Amino acid sequence: MGAGFATGFLVGRELVRLDRIVVTRFEGRRFWVPSRVLSAPTILYPGLDARRIELRSVLERLGYRNEAPSPRLATRPVPVGSQIWGNDQARVHLRGFDHPTRPERPRDIVIRLDGSSIREIRDVPSGRILGAVLLEPEPVGSYYGPNREQRDLVRLADVPQHLVDAVASVEDQRFQSHHGVDIQRIVGAAIANVRAGGIREGGSTLTQQLAKNFFLTPDRTLARKLEEAAMALLIEARYAKDEILESYLNEIYLGQRGATAVHGVGEASRFYFGKPVRHLTPGESALLAGIIQSPNRISPFRHPEQALERRNLVLRLMLDQGRIDAVTYRAGLDEPVRLAARTAEARGARYFLDALRRQLPEVYDTDTLTSEGLRIYSTLDSRLQRAAVDALSQGIEELEKRNPRLVREDPARSLQGCIVALRPQTGEVLALVGGRAYGVSQFDRCTQARRPAGSAFKPFVYAAALEPRSGPAITLATTLDDSPLRVDLPTGPWEPANFDHKFHGPVSVREAIERSLNVATARLGQQVGTPRMADMARRLGVESRLPNVASLALGVADVSPLEMARAYATLANGGVRPEIRTFEDLVDGGGNTVARRDIEFRRVLDSGTAFLVTSLLEGVVEHGTAYGVRRAGVEGPVAGKTGTSDDERDAWFVGYTPELVVVVWIGFDDPQSMGMASSRVAVPIWARFVAAATGGRVRGSFDRPPDVVELAIEPSTGAVARAGCPASRNEYFLAGTEPTHTCPAGWVDPNPTFDVEREVDKLRDAFKRWLNDVL
Amino acid sequence: MCSRTAATRALVFALATAFALGCASFGSLRLSPDSLRLSEVADAGDPERRSSMQLVLQGLGDDADMQSARALSSYENALRVDPSNPYAYLALARHYVYGPDPERALPYLDKCRTLLHAQGAWSPRVEAHVEGVRGAALVASGRPREGRAHLERARALDSWAWGDEYLAASELR
Repeated sequence: MGAGFATGFLVGRELVRLDRIVVTRFEGRRFWVPSRVLSAPTILYPGLDARRIELRSVLERLGYRNEAPSPRLATRPVPVGSQIWGNDQARVHLRGFDHPTRPERPRDIVIRLDGSSIREIRDVPSGRILGAVLLEPEPVGSYYGPNREQRDLVRLADVPQHLVDAVASVEDQRFQSHHGVDIQRIVGAAIANVRAGGIREGGSTLTQQLAKNFFLTPDRTLARKLEEAAMALLIEARYAKDEILESYLNEIYLGQRGATAVHGVGEASRFYFGKPVRHLTPGESALLAGIIQSPNRISPFRHPEQALERRNLVLRLMLDQGRIDAVTYRAGLDEPVRLAARTAEARGARYFLDALRRQLPEVYDTDTLTSEGLRIYSTLDSRLQRAAVDALSQGIEELEKRNPRLVREDPARSLQGCIVALRPQTGEVLALVGGRAYGVSQFDRCTQARRPAGSAFKPFVYAAALEPRSGPAITLATTLDDSPLRVDLPTGPWEPANFDHKFHGPVSVREAIERSLNVATARLGQQVGTPRMADMARRLGVESRLPNVASLALGVADVSPLEMARAYATLANGGVRPEIRTFEDLVDGGGNTVARRDIEFRRVLDSGTAFLVTSLLEGVVEHGTAYGVRRAGVEGPVAGKTGTSDDERDAWFVGYTPELVVVVWIGFDDPQSMGMASSRVAVPIWARFVAAATGGRVRGSFDRPPDVVELAIEPSTGAVARAGCPASRNEYFLAGTEPTHTCPAGWVDPNPTFDVEREVDKLRDAFKRWLNDVL
Repeated sequence: MCSRTAATRALVFALATAFALGCASFGSLRLSPDSLRLSEVADAGDPERRSSMQLVLQGLGDDADMQSARALSSYENALRVDPSNPYAYLALARHYVYGPDPERALPYLDKCRTLLHAQGAWSPRVEAHVEGVRGAALVASGRPREGRAHLERARALDSWAWGDEYLAASELR
């Protein structure tokens, strides 16, 4: 009696304990759903070079199935998520994508090509020509919890009945009638196992499997089985069948994408078939249900025949159990297995994910990001990101190959680098690679490192000197003095030297920056003053501490590549400073937009001065220290400045086109001399990346604002060049700052020309004024 | 004799030119509704500009249908394709003026103006919209005196679009 009471008490206590575990999990956070980061959408339009953007690969990465080429490519029916490529056209049935405020519906299009260029995009059903089409964003990565489980939660209402039936038919055909444990099945399985002389069949119900996955270890012990059964009974006692089924469908393990475990039918449906679960066919549902038993052993990617056999078995069970009719059964059997292209997560985007996380509002901490299943629509351009990863890794490897002294045995101490690319007009981060290997070092050199800018700081000095706000110190016709300079400081005299250890006497402003002359720039810095230089750098976008020292002009300040990118973006953007933006918006698991980051910018410099500095920096690329950009074959408008810190410890190149700002930094984490200037270290990597990004031909132009005039000047004196002047070149000036003296001196126009256009304009204006008055 | 003939010819040429220019100017005056609609400039420029304009027009359509977030996304996509498209900035500025934070329109207008000037596309017709949107932004953000002056200027340039001091997305489209 006493023993019975004690046993009953212990069992009761155990049940209470198990019940508490069940309730805690079911009432609390049931699933850890990693937040996903998605790229910016790829936009297709007529005129775009499909080969350059690797359109076919983009679609394959998105899981689009390749259909067999067909002469009726433009007219035959094509399922959603498929592509067919012909010689001069492609048919793509775009999937569309879910977004609470800007969803895209699926679109069936034909892309006609002219060579590699898109000639026309036509909507197949309507025959309408389209001006632009958006592809769905590419997955960039996820914020995983410790188990690296990826799942896409689905509601039972979104799961097709044939998937529920398929799962029940093969895993637990009496799910709707049992109370958590199916005695009939256990007995049946036991008999089958005895006959087979080993464990061949399991007797677990869906509820037991759920209990095992949620709470228990996979051990096959009697105690564990008893616990599993008890928990299954408790779950069934407390929760409705639909709730249990929904949990099961979201929890079940269904395969492996690299290091990431695929859980739940939602994720599996996208992984295997490239579509949301609600669009599965009965055959696809049968396949998914079939692989539950052993997702890797029967993986349709690796073992298609076994997967097919298993699918057909499930279809047979469904027919036998009366869950489908004979017509559906036969259609299922005849259905070819159409798997999505196998997708991997974007390469090398971990640094970007970290940078993005730092920009998210504080409420989105690690716990939230790894569990709440947010979708973060980022600004990353997947193609540029891949190009940046390649340019950096290949560039550094080549450097090491050519200069074995740069090689270090310990990967943690090896030569490092980073690339960050922004769109200057919007501040969007398009690519960010913070180091050679995230696995070796998670320190992001683009956003977390602060290194001396060297000569890459000089454009801020010239911008401060050219700015008209407080009276420009120079114009582009000014001659600077590159002769020995000594500045007496409380800490002792400062005597800057040039890279070549020579002095060059009187030099033009252009020559000073193109050859990166330190002494001429230091003297200009003295003229401008440290506060104005620092103020200019701050306004353009530098946020790090700037020391109040004369050598600031030569870049002694420690800055991050990202802030340099932002400051140069301001120059590229005509004096308008963009805010850095790594994401567009953030959608929670319930499909609500919960955070948004708009494009923001502010004018901090007049467009004229920004244009003059850009023009100077174009010279650096055309004739100066960054000529390597041209040598690498990059054509079109490019401006930029190299930077090499003391003892050649840091190599920078900050360059921009009208639509792209790119910073490359190379150096050792533990600063050591590389023995080379940035023109040989950073410039080739920059050029490699930009060539890949643009196809080698940069689009657009640096437009001259209306308040900048172009004049011929005599180069050595800066005088306006007139007839008879022995030498001249064209130069830009802010209106009102043009030189007044002429070459030859005192020149008077002997034959003033009659400007027909100007006189006609005057006449027209007068006539319009008169007509306005009359009317 | 010869020089008199040349002078007469020059005079006739000058008068003919003045007449032709006058006629041309007459056409551009506000005698009839002739406001700038962005669909007019949608087919100009390189492929990027044309595609970007399609996205701008799509955004204006979304704005007209009160699909604000969708419109914003279209404008941002327009800038992804062509970051130097001044009309995308104009459409964005218009979008913000009638939203909760009208002051945000101002830097977009500044950018739009700079680009239009730099690209040689500045004209009284586009100036009317830039001035009008600026005026509306200033009025809506609590600077009525400043805003009025811009709205007056817009009305003077384009009384048809700016007579009511409001520019609907469909009017700009």
